[in-house]
Amino acid sequence: MSAPQTLMEPATGPSGPRTVAGLGFISVVVPVVERADDLVAVYRAFGRELDALPQKHEFLFVFDGSITPAPELVALARQNEGVRILRFAREFGETAALQLGIEKSRGDLIITLPAYFQVQPEGIHRLLDAVSAGADMVVANRSPRLDGWLNRMQSRAFQSIIGGASEHRFHDMACGVRVMRRPVAQALPLYGDLHRFIPALALREGFRVDEVAVPQHPGDARMRVYGPGVYVRRLLDLAAFFFLAKFTEKPLRFFGLVGSLFIAAGTALSLVLFIQRVDGQGIANRPALLLAVLFLALGVQLMGLGLVGEIIVHLRAPHRRAYRVRERA
Amino acid sequence: MSPASTSATAQESVPTLTVVAPLFNESQNVRPLVEWILQALETYPETFEVILVDDGSRDGTWNEVRLAAADLRVRGLRLGSNVGQTAAMMAGFDNARGEVIVSLDGDLQNDPRDIQALVSKLDEGYDLVCGWRQQRQDKLILRKVPSWLANRLIRGLTGVPIRDNGCSLKAYRRELLQRIPLYAEQHRFIPALSASVGARITEMPVRHHARRFGESKYGISRTVKVLADLITLKMITTFRSRPLLGFGLATLPALGVALVFGALWVFSLTHFGPEKAGALVFPGAGLLALGVAFYLFMLGLVAEVALSSERGDASDIPNAWEVR
Repeated sequence: MSAPQTLMEPATGPSGPRTVAGLGFISVVVPVVERADDLVAVYRAFGRELDALPQKHEFLFVFDGSITPAPELVALARQNEGVRILRFAREFGETAALQLGIEKSRGDLIITLPAYFQVQPEGIHRLLDAVSAGADMVVANRSPRLDGWLNRMQSRAFQSIIGGASEHRFHDMACGVRVMRRPVAQALPLYGDLHRFIPALALREGFRVDEVAVPQHPGDARMRVYGPGVYVRRLLDLAAFFFLAKFTEKPLRFFGLVGSLFIAAGTALSLVLFIQRVDGQGIANRPALLLAVLFLALGVQLMGLGLVGEIIVHLRAPHRRAYRVRERA
Repeated sequence: MSPASTSATAQESVPTLTVVAPLFNESQNVRPLVEWILQALETYPETFEVILVDDGSRDGTWNEVRLAAADLRVRGLRLGSNVGQTAAMMAGFDNARGEVIVSLDGDLQNDPRDIQALVSKLDEGYDLVCGWRQQRQDKLILRKVPSWLANRLIRGLTGVPIRDNGCSLKAYRRELLQRIPLYAEQHRFIPALSASVGARITEMPVRHHARRFGESKYGISRTVKVLADLITLKMITTFRSRPLLGFGLATLPALGVALVFGALWVFSLTHFGPEKAGALVFPGAGLLALGVAFYLFMLGLVAEVALSSERGDASDIPNAWEVR
């Protein structure tokens, strides 16, 4: 968290506090990480939609280290107070870019947009309407989808795995178009690569999260196939998310369960060996004895890990609260 | 700790007693509960408040709470999602303004007429007074038997002589609750956790009624989880400030096993010669056990590192009271 801040350099544009910070001010955070369309076009298309609103707005483009802002965008930021560019000195990824954008933004309402056309710009109004209707966060669900069957299957598989780890099933968690109130954005426990799970994280923090169907942009619908490394990373992210969702407060329930399975297997095997030994068979040259001891050793180690986890959770307890008060009467 | 306690100074009289009731899908029970509490506390000589915590109910409990909060002595908290009884109670505790706090179930099974008795018991010089449901009105097999077993286990493991850990009707000094931040499902272990920070604890019999409306939120499925939680409880209450000792003790059995296998190896070497004892099984098993001992010791060091970064809190010092 602190590393991206110290290494970030504000690229261009005027500095110092600006006058616009009233109620209903909207910040648009655009993390520019891997894929990027013409950002000036993105700004124009979505800015036009937001101009129709009474609220003022600002755009924050957060560039990851590997991407250089186009000169047109820099020129735009120089002329236009409502466009700001932030740059990381090296690659920190999308989650860090979102975090920085949220921290540097001043809006009461924060919109996150991908750096390319994912949905039709006019769809943004549907999300804003849902926020006005009382939601704390609204995420877009690209529908109707124009993707090919392969990408649809990929994203469906991804969503159904997540569905098992979260109490609510989101249809399009990978969509980067979201609208959230500022307190939600600041309460999100973001780190690592958790940006893919933002709706589920907000829900777990006790916020009201709605999903709204928004037509997909044709430019988003091209074929995407990734290398095997990407899929492995996604699966690991999922495992981490799943684990955190279920066992953050009770690590021993997880490690204890796995550990006791090993201990049970080790004990059963030792018992068999013991009976055979009493029966007269030697055990000194049986690798099964090694296996039994190995199982027991693994089980004890897992239990120990769970206990260390419990100690850490216990130490954190004075600073952490599992509840969020939504309303008082 | 409690943000509400500082902002409440503007109020003319800060209540000395706070009654906290967590509610989850108890819409039918809210009104009778509040009426009952207010009636029972009519004779209470000082000011009090009632905090109703709606733990993410989906049955209109919050509407009932809002109606009840028309009475100035009643406050409501609505949580963003269903976080469970412990966290809901914690929300109430954090917002309580009274120096004395009483918790009770929102399902009318506890009797608010016991509140005053618990508070006067607390004033005799205790930090925690636990209700003891002497005549429990629940199903025998599903509720009473598991609960009896769990209580025996908790008592045996922690040595705290409380017969009914699961009863929600309890009176606490606020000071004590600030020392034991509860999380996960620790509400069952309040007496043991309190004892571990040096609280003075007692129990007294309270009334218990059969459920009138709604359904019980607990079944027999929780027993396995309670067992895992018990191991944690023992570890935390005994070795909270010295985990290396706990892990160090745990290395002893592993060292013993390693020693036995080592002895077996030496024995087979000297008696049968290297050909017969040529298999690597005994030394292998011994080395594995030795590895476990080493690993546990290292884990203990990791736990010490985790501890040292959080140390220096006032809550590390055990509880003490002035003798007058």
